Amino acid sequence: MSILRQGSTLIASVHTALDDSELERFRTDLVAQIGEHRSRGVIIDVAALDVIDSFAALTLRTIAEMARLRGARTVIVGIQPEVAFTMVRLGMGTGSIPTALDLEEGLALLTGGVDDGRRRP
Amino acid sequence: MTRPQSADGADATASAGPLQEADDLTELQAIVRRVVGARVGTHPAAEDLVQETLTRVLAAAPSVDPGLLEPYAIVTAKNLVASMWRDDARKRRNQHRAADLRVPESPEAQALLGEERSAMASALGRLDEHERALLIEHELRGTDTRTIAEEEGTTPGAVAARLSRSRARLRVEYVLGLESGDPPTDRCRPVLLALSAADRRRQRELDAATHLFSCDFCGRLSEPLLARGQRQDGVLRIPVAADPDIVKARGSARELAGRLGFSRTDLTVLATAVSELCRNIVRFAGSGELLVELLDEPRPGVRVTARDRGPGIADLEAAMRDGVSTYGGLGLGLPGVRRLMDEFAISSEQGAGTTVTITIWGKDPST
Amino acid sequence: MTQTTPGQHLLSELVAHLREHRTRLREEWAERIQQAHLLAAMTPQEMAAETTSVYDNYVEVLETGSVEALQHYARDLSERIIPRGVETHEVVGIVLLLRDVLARSLFEKYQRDFGLLNQVLDAYEPAANRIANTVAVSFVDERERVIRQQQDAIRELSTPVLPVRERLLILPIIGVLDSDRARQLTEQLLAGIRRHRARVVVIDITGAPDVDVAVANHLVQTVDASRLMGASVIITGLSPKIAQTLVTIGVDLSKMNTIGDLQGGLEEAERLLGYAVTKKEDATLS
Ligand SMILES: [Zn+2]
Repeated sequence: MSILRQGSTLIASVHTALDDSELERFRTDLVAQIGEHRSRGVIIDVAALDVIDSFAALTLRTIAEMARLRGARTVIVGIQPEVAFTMVRLGMGTGSIPTALDLEEGLALLTGGVDDGRRRP
Repeated sequence: MTRPQSADGADATASAGPLQEADDLTELQAIVRRVVGARVGTHPAAEDLVQETLTRVLAAAPSVDPGLLEPYAIVTAKNLVASMWRDDARKRRNQHRAADLRVPESPEAQALLGEERSAMASALGRLDEHERALLIEHELRGTDTRTIAEEEGTTPGAVAARLSRSRARLRVEYVLGLESGDPPTDRCRPVLLALSAADRRRQRELDAATHLFSCDFCGRLSEPLLARGQRQDGVLRIPVAADPDIVKARGSARELAGRLGFSRTDLTVLATAVSELCRNIVRFAGSGELLVELLDEPRPGVRVTARDRGPGIADLEAAMRDGVSTYGGLGLGLPGVRRLMDEFAISSEQGAGTTVTITIWGKDPST
Repeated sequence: MTQTTPGQHLLSELVAHLREHRTRLREEWAERIQQAHLLAAMTPQEMAAETTSVYDNYVEVLETGSVEALQHYARDLSERIIPRGVETHEVVGIVLLLRDVLARSLFEKYQRDFGLLNQVLDAYEPAANRIANTVAVSFVDERERVIRQQQDAIRELSTPVLPVRERLLILPIIGVLDSDRARQLTEQLLAGIRRHRARVVVIDITGAPDVDVAVANHLVQTVDASRLMGASVIITGLSPKIAQTLVTIGVDLSKMNTIGDLQGGLEEAERLLGYAVTKKEDATLS
């Protein structure tokens, strides 16, 4: 995984499947950096994940919640079609965390400042 | 929006397979040991032969009538002993090859391949025209059942059932083609067909058990017919004891199922369910194991058995109730897994452990 | 039944032997491939390059016991040769030929010592069979994948997801839905969202006479899954009866974006996308 800073936004990308303890470390690292950089927005790119099970979904929700408490908005991007389908059948959503198709859309969503993705083309 | 209730979840049942009774197994094991012992004495491979036989019998158990298990175990043991002698004979032939380096090229494996191909061709020839056309259309040209059904004005289900019967017939004709000579009795072909089709009712009707005892020919052929479900490389046993095992296990299950041509969605669904089951093992039992099997009847499928010897689940009903989704309580993610899978069964005994069996059948993407 | 594990030194000796005679053995193998008329679709240069790679991979498997690199190479090779009509029996054939070329060179080397020869063969044969199996399985897998891809491409053509304008998809549902078809539509919609980078999806169910509980669940799952991919969903043409079914299974309709008819749905979609809406204010929006 990698965490990049772009202005006041942190972009965290997951590159391979993570096991539970790695997910926990990811959460700790990311939340620490949000505090450290006083980030306003966080994008988590999960395009490389071919499974988002209950624990991974819960971790994403926890990160978003902790980010919110530190004043940052979180957007999850890159959920694959099969993964999205499986998550809802499993009964695991991302709660109310905004989602976007990919990094580009995620950045647009954060900079647009509205949460339903509307903006001028 | 609120989470809708599951409408299509299968029933959670505490299941006991035909061979789960330890007594049955012990009895079978004793019989097999006698059969093997009578043939190979104290040969060092004897115990391996016994274990191998039992493995095959267990694998075939779902396809055969319970009354047939004993005869099947006996013929399988005989077959295995015979094939061990054949392997030894092959080694002796190799020594000969070593002495004479100018033995002509054609590797025997290729001769064998040729033999198999011609057996397949003649097996296809023995099917009636309709069956043959159907198999060729579906298996070789890759036409899906829905298209065939549309062309014939019938339903995909009916086509699938006919395909399954035709495949069973083809397998019988194929193994017959590898034998030289016709079956010795009129009963042989129907018995072999009932075995091949895993039709337990028909096996009983034909009294296949008695026939297997008395007919060496069918004894020899029953094993390859029933072994079809367990391709050699189609069973995977994965120990699960720590976090990294969860990721490894779901990757392996996905890879194995990938061989069946499952869609990406089905592969993801399977991997996710495996992930949930493995996590339960790691968190609640400490360690356990996962058994992943490829199935091919009535259509391609994968069965996963997750077993542990952990504390067990005190209240199964509560564990299966939807809506509990946090760890710590009863949230084992089991209702979600049940929703993901086509079949789901769980049995758990306090202090003894938990076994969850899940099955997913490949979806014909166009039906 | 179980193969005895060979001494590691035997395998290393074997590997050293195969490396030492690499050029000669590879050429002998290539010749036999030619004699057997296998891989006729390849040029001599390609043949030389591929046989060298296969040979090296083969020896590597014997040395390390890991088939991973070979598997990778075999997939890659398959991908290149399948479009040229190479058949499974050819691929299996060439690997078996290599197995036998190498086995014969072992016979030659060890023929004076039968005991040792047997040990070497015991070490070599299981590994060689495993290699043959790996290559064959990789090839068959790859071929199935190619066939599947072609089938997908054909299905794509009949996909019911309509891109009406940039970032906007319509999924008209027409006719009776069963669970299988509902599931298939969901999969196609989700794939369509990614392909067309859709931000808004209008699911029009005017043409669906009735939905049962299972299908209603699917509909809800489709909405949720689309949202996970970053697309908003508008449902149009919801009959009172279907609305009732949704309520029955516990769906909170006020949290679903439902609009009376398709026209209204499209207007709402354009508003969400930020396009100018020239029509008068629409009071039915949620
Ligand atoms: Zn018979």
